[in-house]
Amino acid sequence: MTATLEAPQTKRKSKSAQMRKYGFFPGCVAKESCKELFNSTMLLADKLGIELVELTAAACCGASVLNDTNRDVARVLNARTYAQAEALGLDDVITICSTCTGHMRASNKELLESTDHMGQANAILGKFGAKYNGGVTVRHLLWLLIDDIGLDELRKMVVNPLNGLKVAPFYGCHIIRPESVNGWESSRNPHSLEDIIEALGGEAIDYAGKTRCCGFHVQLEKDGIAPAMVGQNMRMAKDKGAEAVLTPCPLCHLALDGYQADSAARWGRTDLPTFHLPQLVGLALGIDASTLGLNKHIVSPGLVLQAHDLAPAHVA
Amino acid sequence: MSFILDIFRFDQATDEEPHRDQVECHIPPTMTVLDALESVKAETDGSITFRRSCRSAICGSCAMNINGTTGLACKTRVDSVLRSDNTVAVDPMPNFQPMKDLVVHMDPFWDKYTRLKPYLQPADKDSDHALERRVSPEDMHKLVAVANCVMCATCYALCPVVSVDPAFAGPAAIAYAYRFIEDVRDSKRKERAAQISEDYLWLCAHCYACSYCPKHVDPQDDIIAVKRATIEEGLIDHPGPRHALVIAKTIKATGMLHETEVIQGTVGRFNIKGLIKVAPFGLRLAMAGKIPPMFLKPVPKVNEIKMIFDTLEAPVLA
Repeated sequence: MTATLEAPQTKRKSKSAQMRKYGFFPGCVAKESCKELFNSTMLLADKLGIELVELTAAACCGASVLNDTNRDVARVLNARTYAQAEALGLDDVITICSTCTGHMRASNKELLESTDHMGQANAILGKFGAKYNGGVTVRHLLWLLIDDIGLDELRKMVVNPLNGLKVAPFYGCHIIRPESVNGWESSRNPHSLEDIIEALGGEAIDYAGKTRCCGFHVQLEKDGIAPAMVGQNMRMAKDKGAEAVLTPCPLCHLALDGYQADSAARWGRTDLPTFHLPQLVGLALGIDASTLGLNKHIVSPGLVLQAHDLAPAHVA
Repeated sequence: MSFILDIFRFDQATDEEPHRDQVECHIPPTMTVLDALESVKAETDGSITFRRSCRSAICGSCAMNINGTTGLACKTRVDSVLRSDNTVAVDPMPNFQPMKDLVVHMDPFWDKYTRLKPYLQPADKDSDHALERRVSPEDMHKLVAVANCVMCATCYALCPVVSVDPAFAGPAAIAYAYRFIEDVRDSKRKERAAQISEDYLWLCAHCYACSYCPKHVDPQDDIIAVKRATIEEGLIDHPGPRHALVIAKTIKATGMLHETEVIQGTVGRFNIKGLIKVAPFGLRLAMAGKIPPMFLKPVPKVNEIKMIFDTLEAPVLA
């Protein structure tokens, strides 16, 4: 049952990593209901000394739903996005959402593995003078932090250590599964978020819910399903002593942050504040806490942050 | 060299609560977890109960939880799962009622399968095909992966939706629906699509937990194909297909998934009761200052995006 992983695509330093300049695909949620994710990502990029060039004309990745309506449309939309990155001389497209990561990598895999798919995409892209040459790798900010910045470097940059804050990692499905698409780390036993939490001076909580689903994609399908999935997972985290949750995915953030109130009746109160990845990293790296959007959470992180002397009361 | 099998023990006939037995096992760790169970059953405790038959990942009987994750015991080497404390924990599959030790009540799983009428229902008579029913290699190719399903229920046990709502058909049943929906010899495509929609096809949470299928059936892609089939068959008066189609609509119009329109389009703009149900979540977001825009400015060159949709004849919500 051990995972057999593909050789990580990121061993070779990409051109983007060498230039410290990346194509950036923020995704729809970071531009709409979770603007604090977009803003904290840009602040973190500044702090890290990397440039994120936003692909402003890009279309939605397909959100894992567009495939339900048509087999090809998401793939061609994503090929258009990759063509835009290539036109800017960038070979990495950085995402800040697990669903964007998985969906865009799946599209890219199909394009790279099938000349039919690549041909179909370029035939359409050609109508408006665009072409995708297959030179793009889709990576999540989480992977960039570990592969291109490095945990040692990150550790050195910490000025506001998390003082043992007990953080439960919550991966979100599409950054780890399926392994044939992601494969950057084991989907059964991932540890990148744990590594980040510990590099920042926090304590990572181990619990079975960390690789399970938040239910976001079916929140409108049937009453109570997403809250039940949230409650189940947050109960496990809370029982292991978690004080907060860290997620690389804004969809998980919305579900976990938004549904703990509904899940309390069945699973007991958990009230775990859910940080976006760049918020917690930014906080530890000394970015002004009042600029990280920590006041945009439903479950306020205020008390937890104050308890660990991490931020003054007014910022959350 | 020996290791410890940490076994879930329970007998529904006599036990109120389960307990665990730790049994020392002396087989080489290059052998399988099923070999280990058979060895301790033969040598230490004959009452240890589990299902098994073929020992070679063909019959699908020996699915169980091994160190907290489901798989076939006959396909899992001990050394691949041996924990640092030299133990391997074996438990019955989750999402099922335990019966005795590692044996579970499979009835809900089979019920969902039989509801599909899992047999070919051709339009014409067998006598019209005196020799054979021919299927082209291309048409057959679509069914090859799902034909490998051994109904071990690993995907059902791993499914987080089943764990909170047992009404959900689960991945294997939907994969079987796909197997008949995509079979050119079958005549009940629409009926099958309607049946599986009723069994909560659209409750699949896209989590890819079923990608751990020990036979690489990967039901996720079949689930997506069945969803497309239901839309093709016009079965769209339901939150699931409306959700997918309104997302397509907003992407085509603006380049982006427009959250506020997606919520209204999925629930139904005039479905007051439904909108009231989602209101608390929306209000909570708004109170926290998470206010998605009511109107979105289209991304630059949105006409290219429209062209992609039109060229591919991709459907959107009317």
